[in-house]
Amino acid sequence: MISAGMDVGAKTVKVVIVKDGAIIGKGIATAGLEATGAAGAAWEQALGEAGLARDAIEKVTATGARREEVGGYDDAMSEVVADALAMHVAVPEARTIVDVGAEEGRAIKVNADGKVLDFAVNEKCAAGAGAFIEAMARAMQVSMAEFGKLALESTRTIPINAQCAIFAESEVVSLVHDETSRPDICKAVNDAIADRLAAMSRRVLLQPKVALIGGAALGIGLQDSLKRGLDLEELVVPENVQFFGAHGAALSASEQ
Amino acid sequence: MIEDFKRIYETRHEYIKGWKEKHPDRKIMGYMCTYMPEEILYAANVLPIRILGAHEPQNVTEPHIMGMFCPFCRDVLAQGLLGRYDYLDGIGITYTCQHITQAYESWVLHKKIDSFFIATQNSTQTPRALPYLRGQLKLFKEKLEDWTGKEITEEDLRRGIEIVDTTRRLMREVYEMRKAEDPPISGLDSMFMVVASQMSDKEEFNGILEDVIKNELPGRKAMEDPGIRLMMIGSENDDVKFIDMVENSGGSIVVDDHCTGGRYFWNTTEKTGDALTDIADRYIKRPPCPIKDIPARNRTAHLISLAREWDVAGVVEIQQKFCDPHEMDKVAISKGLEEAGFPTLYLEFDVTVPVGPFRIRIEAFLETLGSEDLF
Amino acid sequence: MAKYKTESLRCWDKAKELRQGVYDGIAKARDEGTMIVAGGTESAIALPAGFDMEFLGGEPYGASCTFMGIKDSSKYMKYFEAAEAAKFPRDLCSYMRLGFGSFLCNSYAFGGTYPKPTFNLQTHICDTHGKWYQIMSELEGVPYNCVDYVPFEWEIENESEESKDLKRDYVKNQMLDVIDWMEKVSGKEFDDEKFINAVNWECEATNLWARCCVVNRSIPAVMDEKMMFSLYVIAVLMRQRKAAVDFYRELLDELEDRAARGIAAFGDERLRLLHDSQPPWHSLEIFRYLEEFGAVSIGANYSFALSGGWAYDKENETWFPADPPRVAGVELKTREDACAWYANWLLEYHIVLRSLRFSGRGKNQRMHDIVKKWHVDGVMMHLNRGCEGTAVGQMEMRYYFSENNIPSLTYEGNHADKREFDLPRTKAKIDTFMETLGVRKFSEE
Repeated sequence: MISAGMDVGAKTVKVVIVKDGAIIGKGIATAGLEATGAAGAAWEQALGEAGLARDAIEKVTATGARREEVGGYDDAMSEVVADALAMHVAVPEARTIVDVGAEEGRAIKVNADGKVLDFAVNEKCAAGAGAFIEAMARAMQVSMAEFGKLALESTRTIPINAQCAIFAESEVVSLVHDETSRPDICKAVNDAIADRLAAMSRRVLLQPKVALIGGAALGIGLQDSLKRGLDLEELVVPENVQFFGAHGAALSASEQ
Repeated sequence: MIEDFKRIYETRHEYIKGWKEKHPDRKIMGYMCTYMPEEILYAANVLPIRILGAHEPQNVTEPHIMGMFCPFCRDVLAQGLLGRYDYLDGIGITYTCQHITQAYESWVLHKKIDSFFIATQNSTQTPRALPYLRGQLKLFKEKLEDWTGKEITEEDLRRGIEIVDTTRRLMREVYEMRKAEDPPISGLDSMFMVVASQMSDKEEFNGILEDVIKNELPGRKAMEDPGIRLMMIGSENDDVKFIDMVENSGGSIVVDDHCTGGRYFWNTTEKTGDALTDIADRYIKRPPCPIKDIPARNRTAHLISLAREWDVAGVVEIQQKFCDPHEMDKVAISKGLEEAGFPTLYLEFDVTVPVGPFRIRIEAFLETLGSEDLF
Repeated sequence: MAKYKTESLRCWDKAKELRQGVYDGIAKARDEGTMIVAGGTESAIALPAGFDMEFLGGEPYGASCTFMGIKDSSKYMKYFEAAEAAKFPRDLCSYMRLGFGSFLCNSYAFGGTYPKPTFNLQTHICDTHGKWYQIMSELEGVPYNCVDYVPFEWEIENESEESKDLKRDYVKNQMLDVIDWMEKVSGKEFDDEKFINAVNWECEATNLWARCCVVNRSIPAVMDEKMMFSLYVIAVLMRQRKAAVDFYRELLDELEDRAARGIAAFGDERLRLLHDSQPPWHSLEIFRYLEEFGAVSIGANYSFALSGGWAYDKENETWFPADPPRVAGVELKTREDACAWYANWLLEYHIVLRSLRFSGRGKNQRMHDIVKKWHVDGVMMHLNRGCEGTAVGQMEMRYYFSENNIPSLTYEGNHADKREFDLPRTKAKIDTFMETLGVRKFSEE
C-alpha cells in the first residue's frame, strides 16, 4: 500500500510517502502566512523522489496545527501520536521523545509498544520553541548552522533566565554589550532553551532512551545543551528529524 | 570581618558541613520563611538554617510547581531536588504564602527528611493571634523535644531568645550606622550580613558582628562617594549582581524592608510573660510580610518612617515576579511613599536579572532623583 | 439513537431565577440605600446574615462578568483595563481585578452604577482574599474587617486535637469579635436568631449539594459539569438562605429519580472525566467539545466542594457529605454556639479551603478518592493562572496521577481572563489526549 503523511507545522510543511512501511519520498517547504503553496512544493518534492503521481497515493493522513488551511487529506491525527508511531519504527528503544517545532515543544512518553503513555507541551512561554532559537540567532547575526558550531566552541557557562523570552532576549542584549564572546553567548542561549525543554520533559517523568526531533533538533548546539540539561549519557538524534510527524501520519494512513 | 559575610554567603554549604563536623551531636533544620521561631530551635540546640535559592536557571521543578508561582520558591525547591541540602536533618516552615508552601510540600513528598509544619496564623492585628500563636509554638516545642530526645526548659527558651535577639540587636546597630551621611557599610555588604546571619550559627556569627561593629565600622567609609541614598523594599531578594550594579551606578542602598533584609531582624523580644508568649509576641509585632498585614494596612507607615529616618531620596521596589502578596501591596505602598515625598521605581525580578536594562532604569531613576538637588 | 435517555432538568429555571435574584437584590439595595456587605463568598458568609442585608460576593461576581461577556467581552475587558491602568499587575487573581475594575469604572455588571457596600468583610482563606478587600476598602473608603483562617491539615497528616482546638478557638473568637465590630460600624443591631438560622441553612444546603454530587457516581452521570455550574452556584451565592436549602432538596429528589431511571446528562456517555480547578468561564464550550468524543466531565473537587460540607470517613479513607447541626442532633441556641459550630464546620469540612493552602499527600488522596468513587477514566486539569489557590499542588497531583497510571491532561488558562487562554490549542490538546486514550470523535468513526 502506498500512503502519505502531511505535517503542516507553524513554519514548514513536510510530506512523507511510505510504501509497505518504507519511506520512498520526502518533501519539505517553508510556509509563509499562507501554507498551500508550501504544501504544493513539499508534495512535488516527495512525489518526485518517489517517482509517483499524486493519484498513486491511496490514503493521506495529515497532522500539524495548520493542516486545515491546506486540506487534501483523508484523515487527521495529533503530532504526539504521529511522532510516537514513527519513533517506534526508527528508534524502538526510545521511551521519551522531545519534539521541538517552530512554535511548540513537546515531550512524549512511550512504552515498548510505541503507545503514548503521557505527553506535555510547553505552555505560554516561547523560550522552549524553535522560533525563539531563530530569533536569537538573528539577534546574534549568525546563521542557524553557525549558531550551533559557535556554541560548541564555548567553555564558559553563563546563566540566562529561561522562563520569559522577553527577559532572555534582554539578557542576550546585555551580554552583547558587555562584549561577551559570541561562542559563550550562543552556548548560553542554547543552554537556556534546553533548560526550558528539559523542564517540560521532566513533567512526563522521562526515561531513557531520550530522542530529540523537530526542526530545532538540527542544531548541534541545542543537542549538546539538552544532553547536559537532562544529565543524559546518551541523547539520540535520529535521521530526518523534521519528518517524524509526517512519517507517523503516513504509517497511520497505511494501517487503516 | 566584613569579608566573612560574603564568604559565608558564597560557601554556605561548606560552612554548614564544617559546622556539622564540629557539632556532630546537634541537628540542623532548614527553614523557608522568616516567621520560623529560631529561638525555639536554638533552645533545642538545633541549628536553624534558611534555605535560599542559587540564582541559577534550573529545569527540575516544573513537574512539581507550576511556572506561574514565584521563581524564588522554585529556586528553593530546586536546591532540595538537586541534593544540595542533603546534609539537613529536618526542614520546617510556618504557615506562609502559597508559593513557598509548595516548595516545602514538594520537598517533603520527594525527599526523605523529617518535616515540621508550624500552623502559625496570618493576621497580626487580632488580639486572638497571641494566644493562638503561643499555643502552636508550644506544640512545635513539644515536637522538637521528641525529635531531639531532650526537654526544652524555660531557661533554654530564654537562652534561645538571647542568642537570636543579640544578632538582631547587633544588625540593627549596623543599620543605624547607615543613617550617616557616609555609611560605613554598603548595601551589598549589609545584604551579605543579613543573609549570612540566616545561614550560620548565630552564636558564632554574633562574635563576627561584635568585632565588625567595634573594630571595623567606626570611621569607615563604604564608598568614596555614597551617591544618592536609596531604600530597597520587596519580597525576598539576595540578588547580589543587582545591588552591586546599583551601588556602582551612583546609588547607595542605605536601608531596606524585605525578608533577606531588615524585616528579618528589625525588632527584638519584649518581656511580657513566659518565654513562649514573648516569642509569639515578637513575631506578631515584627514588620509584617504583606499577607500578615491584614485587615489594616500598617506597612506603609513603617516604610515611610524608614525612608525618613534613613533620609533616602527614593525607593526601589524589587518585585519577585508572580509574587502576589507584594503585588497586592504595591499600588498602595507606592502611592503612600510618593505622597510622602519618596519617588519609587518598580522592577520585576526573576532568579537572574537583565542587569543591562536594569542599569538603564536605575541610572534614569537616579538622574531624576539627583536633579531635585539642583533646584 | 443515543445510548441513554436524556431529559432537561426541571430545576433549571429555578436555579436561574435564584441566581438572578441575588444580583437583582443587590441592585435594589443600591437604589434604595439599604445595607450591602461585600466580601468573598469563599468565606464565613453566614456572619453578616445577622443583619438584613444583601451580600455582594467577589468571586461569583467576577465569574458572572466573564460568563456574561462570552458573546461580547468588551464590558468586562474594560474592568481589566481599568485595573491595569491603576497599576494592578496582571498575574493577580482575575476575579479580584474584575472587582477593582468594576469599582473604578463605577459600573455594576448587572446594570447601573457600582453598588458600594456599607462595609467589607472577608475571611483570609488564601494569600489574596484578605488583601483583596483591604484594597477594595481603600478604594471605596468603607470599613473593613477580616477573619483569619488557618485550615486543619489533611486527615492523612494526623493533626493533633490540641492543634485543632487552637484553630477552632481562633476562628470562633474572631467571629465573635467581628460581630461586635459589624454592629459598631453599621450602627445596627445584630440578630442572633437570623445568624443561627443562616448557619443552619448553610450547613444544610452544602450537605444537600454534596449529596447531589454523590448521586453523580451513577453511570450514566445525571449531571455534567457544565450543567453543574448553574447548580453549584446557588450554594456559592446564597447557601446561608433557606431558599438554597429548599432548592437543593428539590434538586436532590430530581437527581435521585433520574439516577433510578437511568437518565443521563449526556446521552452518549462512554468516557468519564474529572476536571480540576475553576473552568475557563469565557470558554465553557470545551465541555461541549468533550461530548464530540463521548466524554463527559462528572465534576471536580472544585464544583463538589467549593461551598464546603464534606466529612472524612477514617475507616474507609473517603469523604462523604457532612451532617448539618439538626441531623447531628445539635441545637444551636446562642451566638457562641453558632460561632463554635460554624468555625468547626469551616475547618473540618471545608476541604476546598484546605486545598487552597495545603496540598501534598492529602490533596492527592482526595483526588484519587474522587477518581475511584466517580468511576473516572481520566483527569483534565486546568492550570489556572487566574487563581493561585486552586493551582496549589496541581503539578504534584499530575505527577501522582502519572505514577498511578491515571491518564491526565493539563491545559493552561485563566478562569476569568480570556487573554490568557488559547481555545484552538486547548482543543488540539484534548484531541491528542483522546487519541492517546484510543477514543475518536463520533463524526470520525
